[in-house]
Amino acid sequence: MTALEVISANLDYLLLGSWPAGPLGGMALSVVIGLTAALLASLLGLAGGIVLTLGPPLLRRLVAISAALLCAIPVVMLIFWCYFLLPVLFAVDVPGTLTVIAALALIGGAFLTQAVHAGIAAIAAGQWQAGLSLGFSRWQTLRLIVLPQALRIMVPSFVNQWITLVKDTSLAYIVGVAELTFVASQVNNREQVYPLPVFATVALLYWLWCSGLVWLGARWETRYAGVGRK
Amino acid sequence: MTPPAWLGYGWLESHFIGWMLQGAALTAWLALLVCGLATLLGVLLAAGYEQRWRSVRLAVRTFLSLHRNTPLMVQLLLWYFGVAGLLPEAVMLWLNAPHEVTLAGWTLAWPSFEFVAALIALSLYSAAFVAEEIRAGIRSVAPGQHAVALALGMTPRQVFRHIVLPQALRVVRRPLLGQYLGVIKNTSLTMAIGVAELSYSSRQVESETLLTFQAFAVATLLYLLLVLGAQLAGGRARPTLGGGR
Amino acid sequence: MKRKLTLALLLAVTATSALADRLDDIKKAGVLRVAAFDSNPPFGFLDAQSRQITGLDVDVARHIAAKIGVKLELVPTNPANRIPLLVSGKADLIAANFTVTPDRAKQVDFSLPYFASGQQFISRKGTLATPAQLAGLRVGADKGTTQEITLREKYPATKVVSYDDTPLAFAALRNGNVTAITQDGSKLAALLANAPDKDKYEIAPFTLTREFQAIGLPKGEARLVKVVNEVLLGLEKNGEAKKIYDHWFGPGTKAPLPRDFRIGDKA
Repeated sequence: MTALEVISANLDYLLLGSWPAGPLGGMALSVVIGLTAALLASLLGLAGGIVLTLGPPLLRRLVAISAALLCAIPVVMLIFWCYFLLPVLFAVDVPGTLTVIAALALIGGAFLTQAVHAGIAAIAAGQWQAGLSLGFSRWQTLRLIVLPQALRIMVPSFVNQWITLVKDTSLAYIVGVAELTFVASQVNNREQVYPLPVFATVALLYWLWCSGLVWLGARWETRYAGVGRK
Repeated sequence: MTPPAWLGYGWLESHFIGWMLQGAALTAWLALLVCGLATLLGVLLAAGYEQRWRSVRLAVRTFLSLHRNTPLMVQLLLWYFGVAGLLPEAVMLWLNAPHEVTLAGWTLAWPSFEFVAALIALSLYSAAFVAEEIRAGIRSVAPGQHAVALALGMTPRQVFRHIVLPQALRVVRRPLLGQYLGVIKNTSLTMAIGVAELSYSSRQVESETLLTFQAFAVATLLYLLLVLGAQLAGGRARPTLGGGR
Repeated sequence: MKRKLTLALLLAVTATSALADRLDDIKKAGVLRVAAFDSNPPFGFLDAQSRQITGLDVDVARHIAAKIGVKLELVPTNPANRIPLLVSGKADLIAANFTVTPDRAKQVDFSLPYFASGQQFISRKGTLATPAQLAGLRVGADKGTTQEITLREKYPATKVVSYDDTPLAFAALRNGNVTAITQDGSKLAALLANAPDKDKYEIAPFTLTREFQAIGLPKGEARLVKVVNEVLLGLEKNGEAKKIYDHWFGPGTKAPLPRDFRIGDKA
């Protein structure tokens, strides 16, 4: 068999796993994990950033410490914890895919919390004063005046974090969730002598996906960021 | 109170903690080397990005895109299992054999191939992120300064070296620190190719003692110490976004 | 403070879950979750055609699930994840070429052994003939295996490099990163038989240990152990055990190996 034949014989497995006969896997599962984790991380980050700006002191401190701790441990470690400890903690069996999504969303959310907080802080104090003097509450000022401007500044941060999340889905490999990198290593283990073509194909698939996000991010940035950056 | 079943039958003996401390030391050493190499290479790449020649710019952009937009795990597997297979057998055997040089009582040992592969893969990956940060820093230096320096008779290279780079490096201090913290965390992936760093040693302790949670807890704590320690050492600066993984 | 709270919560949770009987849980769920290898023929591996995990361990697991009367669900694992999977409750049983050791017995329970083998080595032809040669060599092993531990304890002069799974270790051998790799002889024979470049390597002509493989179970599930042991003894009695063995190791297979252990033999 040539390298090309090895890839083409296994391409459907790399893309879809054993689906439709078995559960979804491969690139498709990576996409599911990546999208869900990105969505959850964005929501977490937004909520966390707002709490850091407007929340009561105690909650603010709690969020700040959790975010700092989550940012300081390797993703692999957090995946281990979520995978092997969550089931014991809650005495329920959480499917592996969900635990990986939870781990990735937590880490991504922690980074975005800091980014959103910084983004809000970057909006000039005059904007706050303007909103408050118009009779808006602090929450209204944030929601109607500050946040829309801050989010524009934060577009690159969000896109970068999503790309990081996409790449981190490959770490689910460690706990045996059948995403792209995991099925690739299964294929590599079976075919044995074609590690370069197998992993190069996988790299290409990730590259296409992330480059797509970069391209999308660049378009958004030119569209929304406009003047006033930096 | 007897511990619950999953906690196993006790706490880790001190020599197992010793294993993990050794792992942590290797993590720190690898991260330090990677930060140094990545910064050097990152500056070169950033300089290349500003080059007049199109082919250089294109090469740099391709390098950045390939390294930033694929997972580190895949890059590590490619370097260790893929590229190694391309080298002639004699070269591989030499690389894998132990080599030692004794200089004035100090023995310098050639590091294991795992370590070299990890060092290369991590440095190239991190360099791509460092380069982007430095490039952003260069962009933040007002173009007027460039023109003034040129008018003063400096060559473009001198302008970059003496005017632009020092200012850019000041601007990027914080984002760079974020990248360096990312490097410490990223070294954990090298356990997949057999580098005996902290995560690897925690699994080793786990397989020897079967005390999964204790082993992970100690490893997590050591990572926290390393990362928060590096953060303190790097000043008050908080890690900014994009600690690329 | 927070940590203390978490710990207290954990203790409470484990205290309650310890009362439940796993066999009843399995029956209620209608699914038996078994941790099996996905890259280690012929014990557990991904079949190229069906894209399903198959193998000797899987065949045994299938009989256990059938006896309990539930569906079999396989949780793919590498050697290092086996015990964490079981202890964290992600799997009900381990059927993954799982060697019985006194240390492991403190953390998990074992069924009767259903397989026996010994620790052996694959190396480039002509490089490894006696255990004495192991000193100073770089040897690839799998994380979380008895072979890794045996080498570390009995052959301290050997440099052990551990990988996530046997095929990765073999890839390292192929690249020259290690001089030999170690595993159960039965597993190595099958690994070598499936290698496209098998004529370059050989199994070294010595065996370090005699090891027995059994089903791993969560601690303190006496009823579950009883069911599993009944199934295993039943398989031996009705000849099914031999049939399974011959299917994977019989004379017609890629890596034939005479059967020198019967379920119920003294381990």
